[in-house]
Amino acid sequence: MSETLLMLLADARLPVAGHTQSGSLEPALRHGLAVEDIPAYLGARLDSVIRVEAGTAVVARHRSLNGGSLADVELAWAARTPSPALRSSSRHLGRGLLRLALRLWPDHPLLRRVQAMEPPARGVVLGAIAAAGGLSPTSLARLVAYDDLQTIAAAALKLEPLDPADASRWVFDLLPRVDRVAVSLAPLTHPDDIPAVGAPQTEVWAELHTRATRRLFRA
Amino acid sequence: MPEPVPSTRSRALRVGVCGPVGTGKSSIIAMVCRELSGVLELGVVTNDIYTDEDARYLRSAGVLASDRIRAVETGACPHTAIRDDITANLFAVEELEADFAPLDMVLVESGGDNLTATFSPALVDVQLFVLDVAGGGDVARKGGPGIERADLLVINKTDLAPYVGVDRDLMVADASAARDGGPVIALSRHDRASVDDLTAWLLGRLEAHRAGALVPRDPGPMAPHSHGHDDDHQHDREHGHEHHRH
Repeated sequence: MSETLLMLLADARLPVAGHTQSGSLEPALRHGLAVEDIPAYLGARLDSVIRVEAGTAVVARHRSLNGGSLADVELAWAARTPSPALRSSSRHLGRGLLRLALRLWPDHPLLRRVQAMEPPARGVVLGAIAAAGGLSPTSLARLVAYDDLQTIAAAALKLEPLDPADASRWVFDLLPRVDRVAVSLAPLTHPDDIPAVGAPQTEVWAELHTRATRRLFRA
Repeated sequence: MPEPVPSTRSRALRVGVCGPVGTGKSSIIAMVCRELSGVLELGVVTNDIYTDEDARYLRSAGVLASDRIRAVETGACPHTAIRDDITANLFAVEELEADFAPLDMVLVESGGDNLTATFSPALVDVQLFVLDVAGGGDVARKGGPGIERADLLVINKTDLAPYVGVDRDLMVADASAARDGGPVIALSRHDRASVDDLTAWLLGRLEAHRAGALVPRDPGPMAPHSHGHDDDHQHDREHGHEHHRH
């Protein structure tokens, strides 16, 4: 069932407020990113934010199954995510995921453990979900990466005049890189292993967005 | 089928306000705040296309402390945010309830959408659907889930009827027929009696909520309503959709 569970979790129709997110694309476009550079932005996410998020999820999954502090995983993620705006949106998404997960696996001890944290980041929640649902670390990392790319591609269609098939093409072209990232992150077990990759331009955009009026997307 | 929100009497009554763009949803919420903020603890969540347009209007109206008005981003999907993925709205409502506990009532304003958009019963306990006479006298006849089956239909700006060539009474009669006699309020802010009708209806729902007698009812998507042919159906209508426990 892990393959079909992966499909469920990657589905944009999952009610976890995904439609409120643009992966910082809205502020990026507002502050000068050209439409033709969106694929490059997606690639840059794969090399930065996505590696931090996916690495966090993989380590949280490992610790959920094998013991060890999840608070340390959360701390390691926070240290690698210096933008308060990015931390806040990750925790917002984490809450939505956790709310749904507790309906799918009611009272699951691994989820209850995450629920006791205040408030858990998206990666930590996804790690616990993967542990509860039997997702492999590679599948989990793939999920994190794919979700981030599709979030941005879907948001682009709301923000710019584009052919929707082109947006799918951007993600399609990055699938081999998604797999490579997933395979490289899957063996991580310790918070210190989580990639520490700065993404200062993304962080600046994320921060600017919190002060923008007339936003379509929360982040 | 979504699991309805349990009508826990302790939490605020959650009231959805939906309807097409420009029919006066924000003005009605401002009116309700003006009328009831002296007697009730209120909060408001807005869902405008651009985050904070409606929230700013309500804040500038000065009818409620500005931190009691929260805006939710819908990612240009106002329909989704009140129906098929209510996560962001639920969080906003719960945060308001936590920050200002105990609240009596939280009003959730949908982004102006179309005639098909209605709230999930997992988000609100009752919902009112707003039309206005300026949108055309025939709109009520067109039906749709909100017009036919929202807990309350408001026909707004009735004072404009003579200027837009609409027969107010006929529009109300059409609406009542489309709703099988369900409640309709013909509202104008210049018509004191109609404003009192609206606040009385809301207070009645709040009383039912506190008594544990309110069960959220889904106006549903576009699928046709199946009319029951038993006495219970009529009984429900006569009692304003209250659920009677025997």
